[in-house]
Amino acid sequence: MQIKKILDEKDIKRIEEIIERNYGCKFRMNSYGAFITSEEKIWLFSKSIDFGLFKKIKRCYRIGIYFGKLKRNNKIKLSIEGANLIGKNASKNIAILNDKEAIKFIEGYDVKADELINCELNNFVLIKYKGDVLGVGILRQGYIENLTPKARRLKI
Amino acid sequence: MLEERIKMMIRDAKKLFQVTQEWKSIRTNILKIDSEELYERLKEKFDIKRIPWYENGFFIKGEIAKSIEYYLGYYHIQEASSMLPPIVIQAEKNDRIVDLCAAPGSKTTQMAMHMENRGIIIANDINIERIKALVHNVQKSGIMNCIVTNYDGRYFWKSGFKANKILLDAPCTASGKIIKNKKIIEKWNYKRILKMSRLQKKLMEGAYRCLEKGGIIVYSTCSLEPEENEEVIDYAVNSFNLEIERIDIKGIKIRRGIKEWNGKKYENMDKVIRIWPHDNLTEGFFICKLRKY
Repeated sequence: MQIKKILDEKDIKRIEEIIERNYGCKFRMNSYGAFITSEEKIWLFSKSIDFGLFKKIKRCYRIGIYFGKLKRNNKIKLSIEGANLIGKNASKNIAILNDKEAIKFIEGYDVKADELINCELNNFVLIKYKGDVLGVGILRQGYIENLTPKARRLKI
Repeated sequence: MLEERIKMMIRDAKKLFQVTQEWKSIRTNILKIDSEELYERLKEKFDIKRIPWYENGFFIKGEIAKSIEYYLGYYHIQEASSMLPPIVIQAEKNDRIVDLCAAPGSKTTQMAMHMENRGIIIANDINIERIKALVHNVQKSGIMNCIVTNYDGRYFWKSGFKANKILLDAPCTASGKIIKNKKIIEKWNYKRILKMSRLQKKLMEGAYRCLEKGGIIVYSTCSLEPEENEEVIDYAVNSFNLEIERIDIKGIKIRRGIKEWNGKKYENMDKVIRIWPHDNLTEGFFICKLRKY
């Protein structure tokens, strides 16, 4: 895990703005500690962890959870857990699935949404099903590209 | 050989070799969903009943690794008796906990959820392949107060970290899994038990060295062998400033530790617990709580 930077207030504010612009909701990222890796991946951890500890303990493998990856076009590709943290309050870029498509999504297939809420084409969308946030995809012409990591897919 | 040894430990040994396990078990991830809500959702899909000794545990039948709730990390598939060591350790919000042999992370994630993502939990494991499973489970459970480390548990203390609670769920010969896997009887090997016992004692020493004064170690294995359990505790109490604290858990049939084995007497074994597979139809477990003075 190559940590590039511990995110300061300015960095966090910038990411909060990206989230608000993309998903129409406020996310209080400063409730957590955060850092970014050289691959532009953002990680969140509890503020009760003194980050100095992470540097002190030599054989550290991971800290906290993977929140999402910062993209060049001021977008964030959220992890499933990142989508869960944001999804309940989001009002933009949301795709609602029905029973059949939800199963397909979990299995890793591209899906079609029953309803799209304030979505932009070729942008990341939060995938919702009966109040649960299943993850994220990219809205393409006529379908949603599935971004569920292979390790998280299930055969149902 | 295993059967003969078990007969020397308990009177109803025969029953142990006859029982099988019909119910699987799961634990609610209360960081993501309330136990009642999960129960209401799952009862539509599965045959499900509550685990009497743990409010967040359920016995369940069916394809439990194939549901939306599982995908979302709303529950973790975990053996019912393996939920006990984190109950005994009583993880609290401001604790500094080390889970010395943590992979694949069932107990780590259980303790972390009781800590409500506060305090610090260090999930350590020696095996990098098993760490991958641990990291997967930490992520899926939404655990943010966890640092995953890759030390040999015997030497974790070299990291300089001091904990107020340590879970030492030690590697073992796993004879308590006999309820799931009868091949354990054929594979039983005394040399392996002795080898494990030596490793467990070393791990105990390692745990002791990174424990604060007044702190606790919860030692557990899923082995039925006295060499891996009472013998290790006896070694710990006689070698370090550790004393055994009594464990009591309601809702589960427990038995106390073996007081004498191979001519050697063990003291205070009425304070430790043994979960025998045929008593609750779970895997077998040994659990002991030690405090540093």
